[in-house]
Amino acid sequence: MKENEEIVIELSGLLEDNAGDLKKQWVKEMTEMGLLEKLTPVEIEQQSSAIYDTCVLTLKTGMYEAAKKYAREMAKKGVLEAMTVDQIIMGMLKLRDVYGRFIFSEYKKDVEKLYEVLGVYEPVANRILSIVALSFVEERERVIKEQQQAMLALSTPVLQIRDQILVLPLIGTIDSARAAQIVEQLLNSIVDAQASVVIIDITGVPIIDTAVANHLIKTIQAAKMLGADAIITGISPANAQTLVTLGVDLSMMTTRGTLRSGVKLADEMLRIEVVEKR
Amino acid sequence: MSEDTLSVRNEMDIISVRGFGRNVAAQLGFGVVDQCRITTAISELARNIVVHGGGGSVTIKTIQNDKKGIEIICKDKGPGIRDMELALKGGFSTVGGLGIGLSGAKRLMDEFQITSFTGKGTTVMIRKWLK
Amino acid sequence: MEIPILKIEDFLIVSFQIELSDHEIDMLRESILDKIKETGARGLVIDITALKTVDSFMARSLSSIADTATLLGARTVVVGMQPAVALTLVELGLRIKWKIITALNLESGVNLLRKSLKSGKEMVHE
Repeated sequence: MKENEEIVIELSGLLEDNAGDLKKQWVKEMTEMGLLEKLTPVEIEQQSSAIYDTCVLTLKTGMYEAAKKYAREMAKKGVLEAMTVDQIIMGMLKLRDVYGRFIFSEYKKDVEKLYEVLGVYEPVANRILSIVALSFVEERERVIKEQQQAMLALSTPVLQIRDQILVLPLIGTIDSARAAQIVEQLLNSIVDAQASVVIIDITGVPIIDTAVANHLIKTIQAAKMLGADAIITGISPANAQTLVTLGVDLSMMTTRGTLRSGVKLADEMLRIEVVEKR
Repeated sequence: MSEDTLSVRNEMDIISVRGFGRNVAAQLGFGVVDQCRITTAISELARNIVVHGGGGSVTIKTIQNDKKGIEIICKDKGPGIRDMELALKGGFSTVGGLGIGLSGAKRLMDEFQITSFTGKGTTVMIRKWLK
Repeated sequence: MEIPILKIEDFLIVSFQIELSDHEIDMLRESILDKIKETGARGLVIDITALKTVDSFMARSLSSIADTATLLGARTVVVGMQPAVALTLVELGLRIKWKIITALNLESGVNLLRKSLKSGKEMVHE
């Protein structure tokens, strides 16, 4: 263990002393591979110094926190600025090569020492590479998740058509994640708008299964608890048949054939008189 | 990863333990509805500890591996549950509650495990995952 | 903690501002019922806007306050339930046992009571 510490100090000292040359070598090799085309000279200088220093710091302290933080930032930036994951990982692999070759040339006269130094260097280098790769995967997953959520929110508009009436037109297939999101959104909208009637139109939902039906019933009951009535409109004959076959208790639901008759019923419930212009 | 165990002896403890659970859930990033589900499930189980178990403890753990989530373990050294099937069915109550404590907590959470030995006590573990 | 019971016109209004222990709820029930007898109130509005958690015990207490108040001649409306609370109560499996009349806010709660008293009809819970 103690020997290890000595090697770490010696190695990180060497890497710090030769930072200028090694960095230049690294940048040169990356430029030859066309990895840095999208970066300005200033950015190249800043980024390569930051990465170089972070790696040496990680080696020196054995703490991977700085490396993780930096990799995460890089992942965010890389994804945003359309720098490919491939390019950044190739760059990191190149840096490992540059360090490795340098270590080899420094210690080539003492093979035993070379083995010891490599024994310290390799695990750290591998760990840093895996941190970088993982950061990119995580960042990508985060972006995908965010986009999925944004799409979920977009897919279910809640429309306020009168002071106290909301309409929720459902379109497309409803899986349980989307159903849960719809229920929450609708209940919040009821309270935000202080709406006493909500019409859920399912004309655009191709298939209603037990799960979707249960979510509908749950929504109606929760709305009722808040003090709002729910009307379901646009159940297709096929869907109605499925629901009956599935044994779903439709007595829980107030239904109307079309959105239009649903709105009319809501008006009646609120005693709103609509005067038609001639 | 954090883990805290709170003792539950009386009804005031029910309020503090569920309040604590709500904070942990909020810090983990659970939304308002999930916070409410978790808090209510804790409340139901903590009340069981006070009413049936004669006191016990609630342990609240955060899980942060590949999946993030919250785990709650409720322990008492009470008489245990004699007819588990009936207790889990819902609508069953020995003290005039609504009788939906156990079955309700199960429905509100993603995972539910119960072990009970007559005369030795009951342990309930519930989990909810951050989606 | 003393919870004020306010009277306006023929109605009593109680607003839960903090989380109550089981014992405090029982105490509150007593004082609400006393106040109904004392004032001859014909309606009761319970505002739970501030409650972030309603478990089955609380739900049962609300339900029993409403039932007893109705027996004493005061129709009861619960107002201001949080969306998350409503959803949780439904998932808890409360739907069959929950017979309380609800309204979105204090104003619509009072309106509902007025209408029901004026028409002489019961408020219905479908």
